[in-house]
Amino acid sequence: MDYFIQQLINGITLGGVYALIALGYTMVYGVIQLINFAHGEFFAAGGYMGVILLNWFIGRGYMSTHPMICIGASVVLTMGYCAFLAMGVEKIAYKPLRSASRLAVLLSALGMSIFLQNAMMLTQGVFDKPYPIELAEGSLTVGGITVSYLQVIIVVFTVVLLVGLNLLVFKTRIGMAMRATAQDKVMSSLVAISSNRIISLTFAVGAGLAAAAGIMVGFYYGSVRYDMGFVPGIKAFAAAVLGGIGNITGAMLGGLIIGMVEVFGAGYISGQYKDVFAFIILIAVLYFKPTGIMGENVDDTRV
Amino acid sequence: MRKRILFTAVAGLALVALLAAPAVAKTLKIGSMSPLTGPYAADGNDIANGVRCAIDMINASGGIPGYDKIELYPQDTACDPKQAVAAANKLINIGVVGVIGAYCSSSTIPASEALAEEDIIMITPASTNEKVTERGLPYMFRMCGRDDDQSKVAGKFIKEALKAKSIFIVDDKTTYSQGLADNVAKECKKLGIKVLGHDHVNQGDKDFSALLTLAKSKKPEVFYMCLQNHSSGSLMAIQAKRMGLKAKILSQDAMYHPNFIKVAKDAAEGIYVTYGYVDTTTDAYKKYEALYTKKYGEIGAYATYAYDAATVLLKAIKNAGSTDPAKIKAEIMKMNFEGASKWIKFKPNGDSSSNYIVFVIKNGKYIKYWGPEKGFF
Repeated sequence: MDYFIQQLINGITLGGVYALIALGYTMVYGVIQLINFAHGEFFAAGGYMGVILLNWFIGRGYMSTHPMICIGASVVLTMGYCAFLAMGVEKIAYKPLRSASRLAVLLSALGMSIFLQNAMMLTQGVFDKPYPIELAEGSLTVGGITVSYLQVIIVVFTVVLLVGLNLLVFKTRIGMAMRATAQDKVMSSLVAISSNRIISLTFAVGAGLAAAAGIMVGFYYGSVRYDMGFVPGIKAFAAAVLGGIGNITGAMLGGLIIGMVEVFGAGYISGQYKDVFAFIILIAVLYFKPTGIMGENVDDTRV
Repeated sequence: MRKRILFTAVAGLALVALLAAPAVAKTLKIGSMSPLTGPYAADGNDIANGVRCAIDMINASGGIPGYDKIELYPQDTACDPKQAVAAANKLINIGVVGVIGAYCSSSTIPASEALAEEDIIMITPASTNEKVTERGLPYMFRMCGRDDDQSKVAGKFIKEALKAKSIFIVDDKTTYSQGLADNVAKECKKLGIKVLGHDHVNQGDKDFSALLTLAKSKKPEVFYMCLQNHSSGSLMAIQAKRMGLKAKILSQDAMYHPNFIKVAKDAAEGIYVTYGYVDTTTDAYKKYEALYTKKYGEIGAYATYAYDAATVLLKAIKNAGSTDPAKIKAEIMKMNFEGASKWIKFKPNGDSSSNYIVFVIKNGKYIKYWGPEKGFF
């Protein structure tokens, strides 16, 4: 039983990270029906920006005097940076192709992904970059179960972000505008909603969440690497499809499911098949429910 | 017109002189095979330079009696089996006495078969696959270690130094890492160490929490971490520490990399690593280092083995006083001296002694810890 609970905790942590990345895929898809393959790179860029900012704070000596402010500022600035990066990417790679075929935009997204990944490799080097500090060392042991404080922080922070996003989308005027744009671009622009601005905003929010995931993963795994965005990006995309692409609640659920399946597959059957399990679940669900788990109820929860 | 005739005549004469020159001077021809282009070009050029350095060293000590000069014919294999066979045939046509190479085991094996038909001696400085010397070829030798040497040292270390009775093994499914992990598992079973589990991860995985939870639940005394790449290794070490895995961690040569410690930081402390050790304090190494660095720059990974391989070949030719392969082989088998990379002594199948020892990471440094012959340092 201890073993099961321990694996459950591992699964929730991993699933939370996937969920944060998956949201970006799903939100962008909801608004412009584009699968933004460059999204995984925002996650990696977030991880790198975290290292750079933390090192900067340490270099100035602020880290030893105000550690919490420095870490908080790093997280916020990283999210902000990636939000702007995503808006830039959108302006350069997607906006000019707004009226082109969807295949052209998809290719542009793939190209952007390769470009960003190589840019990170060239500017940051091919070797892993270690995270300079450890956040919340130590762990909680109850019976045979070990939960590190960092895991707790990650889960709590993920929940906060998810709740915040829900509030943004469902309780604010901006959120309403986003949902309106997702449903009908022509109609929403007739009621004075600038679809270009909303699209930019959607990219920014999605990338900000991915950046938060990137910096948390950096803390959690202790290092970042230029190609770290690829595999989690694919998994998060799978999570978004599993939950029903375009559906925010679905993406959260999908992320959790993919994380759990991976961990339990590895823990109970074999580690070498863990990716296989994640995708078997995806295929099985899509076979019976092609729109994904939450995909039916399109109009209310779609962004 | 007359000018052109004159020019042609002069050029012709020069050509004759060029062609005639080698016929007058007696040249010893040896070949080298390594990837001089492509992704492994750095290692391949190190090999060629190591051989050149050995020739320089022999020349400095008076050369080989009966020959005016030693000529090296470096060939590019590009780590491609087809190109390696073509290179071997080219060297056969040139008429070399012996060949140092190749680099990739997959090139060495087919090339050695072509060379074997002509009874040409081949000494590989870098191919670690067992098969290289397991095919019964009489003139195939190996200067570097073998893949299964490492597992034997690991097994012995677990049994004799750690005195452990159980082990959990993980690899990342590459030919190299899985082969090594399988051998370690076999070795442990032979020594009566219980293998509690042998699991695999994927290349590029970042999250090992599920696997480590599994390993922890089995309570092994030793956790054998066999990964192709030090970057996954450092991630696994960090997560193992955080998870509270109590087993001692033993790993292999890929973790002998400064970046492993740089990323894993204190999670790397106390991890054991098996690694082919080159003692840089011996006289033989220092002599080689002085000559090599002066002419060819920084010493690369395989240059030292290539240097030793070429030294063995040239010394054997010198001692035999002949280019007859059987006589050279007899001399190679008699070799027993301190080389630059290790103590050189060949076994009947063509392998030379293994130099794997165990290091422990202490205060961010690899410290010599235990050797299969010497025990604790």
